[in-house]
Amino acid sequence: MAKFHPDLHVLTEFTAGTLPLAQSACVSLHLTYCAKCQEITEAQTAMAANLFEDLEPANVSDSQLDIVMSRLDEDAPLTYPKTPRDDASSTPAVLQRLMHGDFSDLTWKKITSALRISYLSTGDPYYEFALYHIKAGGVIPEHTHRGSEMTLVLEGGFSDSEGTYHAGDFLFRESGDVHSPAALAHEDCICLAVLDAPLKFTRLRHRWMNPFLQLKAS
Amino acid sequence: MSVVTKKPGDEVANLEFGRRTDEWSQCLRTIAKHRDRSAFARFFKQFAPLIKAFALSGSTLSANHADELVQEVMLKVWQKADGFNPDKASASTWVYTIARNCRTDLYRRLQKFDTPLSADDVSLDQDGEEPAAMLHQRRMRDRIHAMMNTLPADQAHILAKVYMEGKSHSEVASELDLPLGTVKSRVRLAIQKLQIQMED
Ligand SMILES: [Zn+2]
Repeated sequence: MAKFHPDLHVLTEFTAGTLPLAQSACVSLHLTYCAKCQEITEAQTAMAANLFEDLEPANVSDSQLDIVMSRLDEDAPLTYPKTPRDDASSTPAVLQRLMHGDFSDLTWKKITSALRISYLSTGDPYYEFALYHIKAGGVIPEHTHRGSEMTLVLEGGFSDSEGTYHAGDFLFRESGDVHSPAALAHEDCICLAVLDAPLKFTRLRHRWMNPFLQLKAS
Repeated sequence: MSVVTKKPGDEVANLEFGRRTDEWSQCLRTIAKHRDRSAFARFFKQFAPLIKAFALSGSTLSANHADELVQEVMLKVWQKADGFNPDKASASTWVYTIARNCRTDLYRRLQKFDTPLSADDVSLDQDGEEPAAMLHQRRMRDRIHAMMNTLPADQAHILAKVYMEGKSHSEVASELDLPLGTVKSRVRLAIQKLQIQMED
């Protein structure tokens, strides 16, 4: 069971459907590990539905009903059941969709001997969505965050000066935090990092190891 | 079926809620089972005006887009009615979830996002088929409904902005000319009340 969770405001924007796409994919992945946050978002959804019922009804013309009635025989779009996360080792559906396969099918870019990064495309132009593979015992050199960073541990675990994190744990760091995470000694760590990428302002961000790590949002 | 002892005011709210829920849940079941078009038309007359209001409360959608959204959501109601399970969610929660996801996807289409993920993909499937979990959810729903009726106006107003108008906390703060911290703490207060309801 996860010990580190999104705060209430992140969960609120997630349930309201207003969290940016890449971040909402990350929160949704946390929910596949976390019954507690699932329950909170369910309650928030029920609460939102109450607000929905109480909206002042808008005028809908009869022609709208006619149009919809005339379209009822259209073929429904194909849907596929979401693969249930029945055992802890299966990769969550959202991630499978984005990876087109498994961790081994990805293109990993080697940054240091301990760190490889694979960028996934969520279609969100403002956020980078990347998997970090840190070798057991490997350390990421100290770095600071210019923007916000969401992290979700997918496999293994890592620690920094503030704690130790395992699969399912969710971290949200605001800009200015300095840290140097290290993977736990006995197992490689794979985590997801969602960074905001204000492409409008600058592509060259002075993160550690620039220029190898320019933000790759899409 | 609730045997929990409640204050008199809560009981009234639950009864009213139960009746409304049952009527539209029943209607959805009829639509699913018998592909009943007149039941669908009744459902449309009840919910289409709410869906349109929800679309327009987001404020950046044109009237045409709002009508488009109503059509899209109501077609999904027809197509997905089979998957509705009254033990997991009320009819209005089910419809609201479809409307919210369609609106989010429409916003992203209008912003020309090219994404393999739909809002459905990242939204939570309500699980918990076990009777205990379903009973728990039903109780939670009833309590939330009762709680909403007792929410102070300033909190309810902000929740409506966040959930119905789809505004971020900082947008709400600048619109109401309130400090961001005040907006956040009102949202937190309301949701903490929910959590207390859940843990009872
Ligand atoms: Zn959680």
